[in-house]
Amino acid sequence: MAVCVAVIGKDNSPLYIGGVGNDTSTDNELSRQWLVHTALDALEERLATSNSNTTNSNTNNTRTDLRDLYLGLLYSTDTHKIYGYVTNTRIKLVLVTSSTSPSGSNIRDAEVRTALRRLHALYADAICNPFHLPGDQITSSKFDKQVKNLMLNNV
Amino acid sequence: MRSSVSYILSHAPGESVMSHPDYGQHAQHHACLLVLVKGIGGMLKNFNKLWERIQKVNNIKVTDSSGQVRDIWVRYVRDYPVENNDWGDFQTHRRLLGLITLSKFTNQIELNEVCRVHESLKVKYSNTLYDSRAFMFGPISKKPEQEPETYSVFEDDKTSKENSSLGEKFSLPSDQADSLSSAESYPHSASSSTSLPVQEENFTTPSNFKTHAMFYSENDPVPDLEQNVADLINSLFWVVESKRLERSREKIEKVSLLLAPFEKKDFVGLDMESRNNKKRCMGRVTKNLADLTLQSGLIADSLNLYHNAAEILKSVNDWLWLAAAKEGLCAASAILLYPNLRNPTPLQRNASLQESSPNKTKSLSLFQPNIDPFRKYKLTSSPLRSSKTSSPVNPPSELTPSSSESLETSSRQSETDNADTESLASSSDIEYQSQKSFYMSDHPSIPRQPSQINNQYLLNGEEIAEKYRKAIIHYSKYQNAGIIETEACFKAARIAVEQNNSLHASSFLQNVIFINLTLSEQEKIQRFDTLAELYKEIGFLRKAAFCQRLAATRQVSPNNPNPDWQRCYYLMLHSFPGHRLSLDPNYVIQHQVGWPALQIQLLQEIVVAARRMGHPALATRHMTFLLQTMWPHLSRQEHRDLAIQLQALSAQCEGGPVPLVLETGEVIPPANLTHVPRCTSFLPRPPPAPRAPHPLNAKPNQGPFIFTPIHFGSLERKANKDEGKMEYLWVEDDICEVQMKLTNPLPFELKVSNMRLLTSGVVFESIPETIILPPDSPTTVNLHGTPKEVGELQILGYSTHTLGVKSNCRLKNMPTPNKFLPSYTIEVIPSLPTITIETIVAPSGSVSLSSLENVGSTTNITLYNGESTECSMKITNTSNVPIEYLDIAIQSNMDNLLQSKVFQFSNEDIQAQLPISPNATATVNMKLYGEADFLDLGGVGGENLFPNSLTSNYPSRVGSPVPNVQSSLPTQSSNAQTSLSSGLIPNRTSGSFRSTNSHTTSWSAPISVMPPSRGRQVETQVIIRYSGGTGKEVHCRQSTLQINLELLPSVSITHWDVLPAEIPSQLYLVLDVTNLTSEEMDFHYTPTKHILIESKESCRVPVPLDRCPFNATTKTNEDNSQDTIECKSIGTGSSMSGLEAMCSEHVTQHVDLQWHLLHSDVRGRASVKGITLSQTMMDIVRMSPLNWEVSVNNQCIKPQEEFSCSAGECLSLGVGVWNHLRRPLRHLCLSVQFYQDYNNGVHSYKLDNRLATAGNNKVVLPSLPESAKAYHECTVVFLTPGEYKIDIQCSTTEPVLEDTSVLRDTDQQSSIQPCAGEVSHIWRFIPPVAISVTD
Repeated sequence: MAVCVAVIGKDNSPLYIGGVGNDTSTDNELSRQWLVHTALDALEERLATSNSNTTNSNTNNTRTDLRDLYLGLLYSTDTHKIYGYVTNTRIKLVLVTSSTSPSGSNIRDAEVRTALRRLHALYADAICNPFHLPGDQITSSKFDKQVKNLMLNNV
Repeated sequence: MRSSVSYILSHAPGESVMSHPDYGQHAQHHACLLVLVKGIGGMLKNFNKLWERIQKVNNIKVTDSSGQVRDIWVRYVRDYPVENNDWGDFQTHRRLLGLITLSKFTNQIELNEVCRVHESLKVKYSNTLYDSRAFMFGPISKKPEQEPETYSVFEDDKTSKENSSLGEKFSLPSDQADSLSSAESYPHSASSSTSLPVQEENFTTPSNFKTHAMFYSENDPVPDLEQNVADLINSLFWVVESKRLERSREKIEKVSLLLAPFEKKDFVGLDMESRNNKKRCMGRVTKNLADLTLQSGLIADSLNLYHNAAEILKSVNDWLWLAAAKEGLCAASAILLYPNLRNPTPLQRNASLQESSPNKTKSLSLFQPNIDPFRKYKLTSSPLRSSKTSSPVNPPSELTPSSSESLETSSRQSETDNADTESLASSSDIEYQSQKSFYMSDHPSIPRQPSQINNQYLLNGEEIAEKYRKAIIHYSKYQNAGIIETEACFKAARIAVEQNNSLHASSFLQNVIFINLTLSEQEKIQRFDTLAELYKEIGFLRKAAFCQRLAATRQVSPNNPNPDWQRCYYLMLHSFPGHRLSLDPNYVIQHQVGWPALQIQLLQEIVVAARRMGHPALATRHMTFLLQTMWPHLSRQEHRDLAIQLQALSAQCEGGPVPLVLETGEVIPPANLTHVPRCTSFLPRPPPAPRAPHPLNAKPNQGPFIFTPIHFGSLERKANKDEGKMEYLWVEDDICEVQMKLTNPLPFELKVSNMRLLTSGVVFESIPETIILPPDSPTTVNLHGTPKEVGELQILGYSTHTLGVKSNCRLKNMPTPNKFLPSYTIEVIPSLPTITIETIVAPSGSVSLSSLENVGSTTNITLYNGESTECSMKITNTSNVPIEYLDIAIQSNMDNLLQSKVFQFSNEDIQAQLPISPNATATVNMKLYGEADFLDLGGVGGENLFPNSLTSNYPSRVGSPVPNVQSSLPTQSSNAQTSLSSGLIPNRTSGSFRSTNSHTTSWSAPISVMPPSRGRQVETQVIIRYSGGTGKEVHCRQSTLQINLELLPSVSITHWDVLPAEIPSQLYLVLDVTNLTSEEMDFHYTPTKHILIESKESCRVPVPLDRCPFNATTKTNEDNSQDTIECKSIGTGSSMSGLEAMCSEHVTQHVDLQWHLLHSDVRGRASVKGITLSQTMMDIVRMSPLNWEVSVNNQCIKPQEEFSCSAGECLSLGVGVWNHLRRPLRHLCLSVQFYQDYNNGVHSYKLDNRLATAGNNKVVLPSLPESAKAYHECTVVFLTPGEYKIDIQCSTTEPVLEDTSVLRDTDQQSSIQPCAGEVSHIWRFIPPVAISVTD
């Protein structure tokens, strides 16, 4: 099951980090941040390579430049798997699943993909708020609720 | 990457598990000979230098028996666990082949000990050791006796260990034997012995010491170190080569099974003769042979062998060895593809070392004088990963050999079996070859590119990664091979790094985490460390930081038996970049990148680490850094907690704004607390007004316009106006002030001590300030200081000392919400003197007012109009600079003329007292006079010409028959000489010069004249400008002394008139004098006469005066020239006639009025300055141009004298007239008229029946020349008694011509048209002759 969802800005600053867990102590929150933070390297690298690939091959498929927003598994630890997703505006969505929990051990890639897509939609809804400044932290409680809901039910 | 079928063949852990991972391994190490370098005995002080030199001999070239040049690589290690040696069969590069000891001894016992240790080391690695060298550094340079070097040890080893190969050994080809013998006979010992001085004392090595031993003195540069090492390598190579040959000649069917250390039990009881097992043996041996081939420099061959081995092993499912074979294949391919991997030592460092060590350069110049190719290579060498754009795997064909030698080499290698003459020659000349080879080892390896590069088994970059992945999966099936797997992961990662494939690298590295190893805590840390390093290499800084942090926490975890806070600290410190943290707080604040929550966590941890490490200064520094940089991300509660923590930390060691240098040479820049306290405004203040310097010569303003919408491009003043440059000046040695507003953001009271200003430029002495700030309330703080030099002073910020931390808060680094200029620039001018002024008003009770610092010093003086007093100002120089310039100016709401009369001081007197040396005093005396106009006009209007003259009730025209003053044209004769305002029309419209200011109706207009009846407040500023010292030419200081002068009314002259006196030469000025004071006044109007006037009373006093001399020009000019000119200057455009001015002056001068207030003993003067005189009055005031001589009965009549006669008596009246004018008078009409004055203003001229006259009472004189006299006589008989008066007058019918016109008249007679019957001027005999007639 998903334990953490993070929205990261294009300058790699955290916009939103939400997690579900047994406890909401700061320790837990911190460890989630570590997880997501260390995933950024792999995410950026993947982004760079996919970009260079597209630039190399954009002669033949300029029209079909739509790269897959879903980046797949970024890395995994003993306990967690970290998936990445990058929007076209370079907003990074990171989903962390727990591989220790019974449901999370054999999570399917497609599930993660749909979850991240839904998260993308939620994010888009959240920043539709005219009072939201792009680049600011997302403080919307509705977004938070929806994301928590997504984590519990969808994945 | 993990195999899903884990631990298939693994056993319970515990036995012979290779437990010491070598994280530093690279793929190319598969091809290296392993040599242990150990320092034994006493510590050599140049051990590290020697170690570096040895390390550089990592590649030699040896020509083998077939004439082929082999490239042999060596890996030196400082320490090698014996357990890893056990894996030597599995991967031969794990075998320790050589031993080099560097030892120091001082005496025989130590020498014995050193030899023993060396031998014991040999025993320790006896399983694998082929050869060893001992470098011994003794007290004196001499060679101890040693038994002749033999290879007996080596051969003993061989015989004991490998008896099976003994026979083979001696069946080596003869040429190889030759080369061996040549190597043996290589005269290294001889050469070293010859180079040594004669021995003085005999040290002998123990008899069981059978090693090549080289002896040097301790400071010997050891010139042949490299040679000896190369020699060792050479010998090692031949052993390996022999082993290879030996292995290659084994019969495939008869080979024994090679085992990995943990496999021993697996094969107990298995059928060794099975076909499967045979193949397994074969595969393993092939793999072993491949390893040896690779080590002995035949990379291309090894590729084939590895491939074959893999094929065989795959068929028998021998996963472990299959994996090893694949790894070997990968390693061999990588070596071929990425030759740069083999040059681990940075080239730059080599170069610098070469230049620094003299022996090195010497040998280089000896053998390789031309080092340019090397340099060139260094420049052009492009490691694959240096350029991101280059494809990860270069096609091998692109790797062009960089020197001809490499071409040669490759060509030689291509013709393996072709022993041509050259190779023969080289083999015969092996000594040279080996020497040369060592020197070549210094050079970066030429990208070796054998022709077999197109070997079918050579893997390309992608394949290497893929094969490695497979190998790792196979390894992972064996728990005991965990270390091998880990190392393989690292090696694969390094190749991926070289390939510039970060994702591959990271996946390999990620795999390391999953390998479950029972490692010591130290090794786990090392693992994380290595991971971090590799992550850093691929640019995964966050990952690296994460690993470093994990390593750091491991260092001090409770599981760690000996926690090392220091290393923990350094690991944390080095993870800063990964967290997007810089050591420089300003950078962090400016960029605000990274994840604050993690940064805060890391910083808190590093604070703890620094504290536990026992470096409180660092702890304080990092805590300050945390508080400073993370301020916006911390909650209020956290602010408070951290601040308290910081206070606790700084109690141990104060934080200061100096960089801290760590033992590693890293510099921790200072962190300054700019948030505590928060500064919201910062502004230098101009000096207070009395101390402010003023330019001595004030420049004129730019123009009359305050604002202009026109902008002149280049003339724009704003353009070159420096922002932050203050417009005011500060003075050297003078206290200056900066005002700032501070807020304490912490919820408790904050003490900020030692606040100073940070400046640059001139020397500035800042005065420390200590304040206590209450929470959350802005406080204004003034910081003071004194500039000590002249020049530009930049104020950069301020320093604080709070929470135990000293901070330098620079304005340019201030947190963003408050925008500050980066610095303020103020010009400091040379020091100027300062003064204090003491004012003493002398007579009036000495109002002494000491004015310190000249601030708001006010002197109040009360004066009655006409009173004068003295005021002395004592100017004391309170500075150290002499006052060399002093200038006193007075500014008041009076006009200049009046002001100069009220305040009188001598400028010469002041200048004479200069310079005023420090602490000296100068006194300036100033005379104050209550200047006022005593003539009270009482709100005069313009129409009434003579409002105050007593025409109505003063008998100034006693007996004068003139019916209308206005219409009767003046009979006044004009005097050319008296004309002052020439050319002016004599039409007077205004009575006095006072009217000149009548147009200034505004009340704020300067007071020119004090109305006598009202008190006036005069606010005066005495501006004292003074300067001294070096800057006296440019700047001065200005002190202002306020004098409030209250002028009280004393006397006022409300009305005046003139009366003729008894004597014709005199007249009486009759004044109505009012005492306006509240006291009784003694009023002196002549030197002898005085009158007492009660308060508010009015009195009429006659002041006898001489008549204004007719010809008063000279007197006027001499005495009153000043006045006249002033009158003129004031009365610009005034129509005051010169004549009246002259009369007025005459009166003013001769009237000396003094008053004395009896009660308060105040004396003063009054004047009638500005008195206005009507035409008739002037006739009285002035001497007549005609001199009268009136006689009755030939008896001369004096003025005011009464003549008596009886009625009927005949009186003869004689009238003589002298013309005193300088021109003749014409058409004079002399008339004598009798009248009776009723003394009520009515004159009766109808006296026909009262008297009779005989003779003409009117005669016309056609001309009276100048100075001539005309006489006329008539007789009169009074018929009735009574009072009679005779009005004797002389009139002329000439037109009214005055002054210049008269002058002109005299010049041009013809132009005058006499107008008969018109009376133009009348002169009278004044007073009229009075005759009382009695019966």
